[in-house]
Amino acid sequence: MSFRSQRFALVACLLAALSFAVAACGSSNNDKPSGSGSGSAVPKGKNGGTVTALASGDVDYMDPGATYYTFGYQVAYSVQRSLYYYNPATGQKQIPDIAAGDPQVSSDSKTITVKLQPGIKFSPPVNREVTSADIKYAFERSFSANVPNGYATSYFSSIEGAPKAPTKGPQDISGIQTPDKSTIVFKLTKPIARAVAAALVMPITMPVPKEYAAKFDAKNPSTYNTHVVFTGPYMVQNDSAGNLTGWKPGKSIKAIRNPNWDAKTDFRPAYLDSWDIQEGNNDAAVASRRILQGQNLVQGDGAPPAQVLKQALSRYKSQLAFSSAGGTRYIALNTTIKPFDNINLRKAILAGFDRSALRLTRGGKIVGPIAWGYLPPSFPGHTESGGLKAPAQFDYLQSDTGDAALAASYMKKAGYPSGKYTGSEKLLTIATNADPGKKTAESAQSQFEKLGFKLNFRVVPQDTLYTKFCSVPAAKAAICPNVGFFKDYYDAQTLLEPTFSGKAINPSNNSNWPQLNDPKVNDLIAKANTIAPGPERDKAWAQVNLAVTALAPAIPFVWDQQPIVWSKNVQMVVDDYANSPFMAFVSVK
Amino acid sequence: MADATPLLDVRDLTVTFDTDDGAVQAVDRVSYTIDRGTALGIVGESGSGKSVSSLTVMGLTRFAGNARISGQVLFEGRDLLTAGDDELRALRGGEIAMIFQDPMSSLHPFYSIGNQLIEAVRVHRDVSKSQARDRAVEMLGLVGIPDPRKRIDDYPHEFSGGMRQRVMIAMGLINDPKLLIADEPTTALDVTVPAQILELLERLQREFNTAIVLITHDLGVVAEVTDEIAVMYAGRIVERGGKDAIFAAPQHPYTWGLLQSIPRLDLPRGDALTPIPGRPPSLIHRPAGCSFHPRCAFARDVCVAAVPELDDAGQQSGHAAACTLPRPARDQIWAALRDGATPQAALAATTVPVPGTLLESAPAAAAEAAS
Amino acid sequence: MLTFIVRRVLWMFVLLIVISFITFIIFTTLPSADPVLLRAGRRASPELIASLTKTLGLDKPWYEQYWIYLRNLLFHFDFGYSYQNNISVRAQIFDRIPATAGLALGGMVIWLMAGIPIGIVAAVKRGTWMDKAAMGLALVAISAPVYWLGLVMLYLFSKDIGVIPIFEGQGSYPTSGSLFTNPIGVGKSLLLPWIVLAASFAAIYARFLRANLTEVLTEDYVRTARAKGVRERTVIFRHGVRAAITPLVTILGLDLGILLGGAILTETVFNIPGIGRLAFDSIQKSDLPTVEGTVIIAAFFIIFLNLIVDIIYAFLDPRVRY
Repeated sequence: MSFRSQRFALVACLLAALSFAVAACGSSNNDKPSGSGSGSAVPKGKNGGTVTALASGDVDYMDPGATYYTFGYQVAYSVQRSLYYYNPATGQKQIPDIAAGDPQVSSDSKTITVKLQPGIKFSPPVNREVTSADIKYAFERSFSANVPNGYATSYFSSIEGAPKAPTKGPQDISGIQTPDKSTIVFKLTKPIARAVAAALVMPITMPVPKEYAAKFDAKNPSTYNTHVVFTGPYMVQNDSAGNLTGWKPGKSIKAIRNPNWDAKTDFRPAYLDSWDIQEGNNDAAVASRRILQGQNLVQGDGAPPAQVLKQALSRYKSQLAFSSAGGTRYIALNTTIKPFDNINLRKAILAGFDRSALRLTRGGKIVGPIAWGYLPPSFPGHTESGGLKAPAQFDYLQSDTGDAALAASYMKKAGYPSGKYTGSEKLLTIATNADPGKKTAESAQSQFEKLGFKLNFRVVPQDTLYTKFCSVPAAKAAICPNVGFFKDYYDAQTLLEPTFSGKAINPSNNSNWPQLNDPKVNDLIAKANTIAPGPERDKAWAQVNLAVTALAPAIPFVWDQQPIVWSKNVQMVVDDYANSPFMAFVSVK
Repeated sequence: MADATPLLDVRDLTVTFDTDDGAVQAVDRVSYTIDRGTALGIVGESGSGKSVSSLTVMGLTRFAGNARISGQVLFEGRDLLTAGDDELRALRGGEIAMIFQDPMSSLHPFYSIGNQLIEAVRVHRDVSKSQARDRAVEMLGLVGIPDPRKRIDDYPHEFSGGMRQRVMIAMGLINDPKLLIADEPTTALDVTVPAQILELLERLQREFNTAIVLITHDLGVVAEVTDEIAVMYAGRIVERGGKDAIFAAPQHPYTWGLLQSIPRLDLPRGDALTPIPGRPPSLIHRPAGCSFHPRCAFARDVCVAAVPELDDAGQQSGHAAACTLPRPARDQIWAALRDGATPQAALAATTVPVPGTLLESAPAAAAEAAS
Repeated sequence: MLTFIVRRVLWMFVLLIVISFITFIIFTTLPSADPVLLRAGRRASPELIASLTKTLGLDKPWYEQYWIYLRNLLFHFDFGYSYQNNISVRAQIFDRIPATAGLALGGMVIWLMAGIPIGIVAAVKRGTWMDKAAMGLALVAISAPVYWLGLVMLYLFSKDIGVIPIFEGQGSYPTSGSLFTNPIGVGKSLLLPWIVLAASFAAIYARFLRANLTEVLTEDYVRTARAKGVRERTVIFRHGVRAAITPLVTILGLDLGILLGGAILTETVFNIPGIGRLAFDSIQKSDLPTVEGTVIIAAFFIIFLNLIVDIIYAFLDPRVRY
């Protein structure tokens, strides 16, 4: 993940880590989660009742066009409907939500046609049926300056007429067409329809009624955020003018049944009569205990700290689940800075590093398996890359605890005959100031020094780490020990392209932290991008993963898992996509 | 004087404070009596125990919590030392009143003087507020506060030092007490004011027929007001007697020192005042024998051997001093000192045999300490 | 008096402007996270970043940004909009004040009710076991950090996770209503926070009052009161406590001012949606407008209560005149 390990979409796990200063995510692999999700059978629940999610922070946006954080997603996917989504019962398979069926891709792979289900209506005060125009408008507004959307240009810039720069107010996008009320067509400039279709799960596809939203969207920034209307089984309480009375920013969110929702059109069972989110529970230990010992409570953002987690593993095993966070944590080595431009030296570092010690700083086994590459377990391309164990060709990644002899031999190959690095320059290292990241950085520091490196070790807040140093190539940080990247959706592109493609290097907001710009990798990425979702695509991305790993641009050390806890009387269903309780599936026992 | 029970009869009063540094014997076997309508001056340097003895009479040292008190304080025959807190409280401010040295700090800064005067009345008398107020106005007028009806609502900080002391006196006398203890009532006042205050005290004493204990370090002050004088040194009375007797024929070397340090109009201007050399002794480690001996030019070995008791030494009844010098020798020495002789010369000129041998160290050390 | 008040109020405005300026400068010069990047997200294009920078007005030079902010504040009483979620900072602050006020005022009542009697008893009975016990406890209460004491109290007494479940715990603050509109619901929820908040203040006030009263009781005017024959109880209260407690008003004004600006720790531990938590959250998110707003409101309370204290003082101490 790039900026803000704390708040980005699908990085809830980090939140635990950063805010609560204790390692949090994941567990050993043999601890089979008791909560549902990941394609396991979803238990039927009882109708009725109410559940409260205890959260630390607030949603980033209620506006589906702008939200881009895990917690925003957790709310969005229970109160809104997107074209496609994931059913906990079927796992990572994309299923139609508003759409009536799978996306139809033209033979030239440049057109996507989606048919919409009838009978999906907006909540009060709009109350009318959703049409394809509402989805077209949702896209158009998300490309405007008034609705800052963080990913629209990344995944949808290939749509014909998609603006390069944010427009002044929502503007027509010629490539999104609505031949009739229930059909939407995306015309693309490149033959990558399959890849674009895979992104149609994102909240940008949640419909927005133009005639209602236009007056809010005319303002910059748009005020639709506090006047959102809903299509999902639930809605945030509002008044007749559409003001969200149920959302008290920083305090609470109250969701009630959406009277216009028709169960027949939706895969969500929506057992609960209502649910709400209580915010500001900054002490994760207290919040987790309240959840485990209480009634009708589930985890919001955040995660139980290690000591509560250990207790939960023994005493509340039926109230705990782990959801793969879908990402990798690593120490980035800036390949443009001497001596890290030397591949053998990088391999020497990877060989010599005790990655188990790095993981231990976050909590050890419980936070997830030790990573060797950049596609985590159960993610498309993971198995194709070789699974949990590093393939044999990566001799420098075989030992979890470091192989000093191998490190020395690579060091010799790199031109340091003593087997240790002998340069005297001080390498700028930017570490986070909060545990456990700080502990990880300190462990890394001592390991680098053991290998002979001298560091200029600077400690800054996590946000500053990204926005002022690691994501700004001009800042010339040599080592970024606290970076990581997590999925946008279930496609390897979302993990590998922003982080290792030479084209992704930006002057600011850069997430290719090693600044890897390797022609072979770039080519493999370009090729993989053209392949339709499916085994072939996964294989192509696995090739990218292996090619990147062969270049040793970073020290991957953990594939995080997100622990989720709930009260005894709650029937939990985890949304693995958002790594959080799926409120539209959760029920009371 | 001896015809009836004295108003106040203090017998062998001893007050010891337990402190972290040791026991401070502030008052040591002090005895004196006052009759109705008379005035007694208690004279001594600070730390001589003169204030403590009178605070003890009032029962105010009880609040210190660390005071050990023995002896008797008989007020109209009742022993105040054994009296209950409530009984004492009823006497305080009623039959026995006290005024203090610093009228600024002795008045509560947050309350108007009227408020404080009225409180004094109503503590002891069951009268209405307005009656008490009338009485307060009357008293303020009596003590010479101009326009008392207007000024009664003023706060202490709005009065001058002398005026405040008048307020204190008014407060003391407001319940027509039988005994008024005035502790250094003029010390904190500006130059010309003390005389007025003393005049006021004297006048009021006559008008109210109040007995007064006037505590001061200044013999000149008692000379104006009192009939009898007790001189205290280091917690003990070293000389007591009628005012005239003490001024005419002081018996104790300490009293001589006090008298010689008063500016006198009957002596040539060029004559320097003679300060008493040295400092008052520590009350924790008092000198053996006569506490004054380290500062006394006439100290001899006999002074160290035992504490001299008050003798019945005066020509008038009740004039007594605690000194090892024979009475005739004292008269001769004082006469010589008064004429300007040095202590050595005065001692040498005595015709009366003086017991003991002169201490070599004492005067020299004392003189050195004084410089 | 009126001139004094007018002068002080004008001075207050100057101070608030200076404080807002300093906050602004700290924020713009010290290395903190870039609010645009925080808001734009990890996949944001440079164009989106540029557009957001413009939307937030961050493309202008800092002095112009500050001038716009100040102008809106002075002429429209407009604190701007949150960088994070576009919500009016003024609306947020006014929404949060009741919770903070309820916490601070209730806590104050408790700490005064506990601190004053303890201080008086300790002073009057000083040296006794009562004094020693009270002062020992006070020392413990002062040394215990609020977040620690808060957690201990939660684990001991809160209804959901406590060993002795008697008080409402974390997050029980009602979603609607304040202490003034929903006294029972809010009061129940605030009981534990009040106690935790009040503990250290009660201890400080008890110690302060004990020291003050001990000194006052040796004052000459207390001796005068006793010499007048005033009852000891009256001496202690009317003459002693009356004088000893006056300086407490100054401290109380300051403390209350600080707390009305947000009791960050207590609000965070007990999840009370007050100004303190708003400040805490906004600092974490580099949300300058909200940080500015909370700083200004906190400063306002402190300065304003100082003024009130000075005015009250004139009535309490006749020697003070303006």
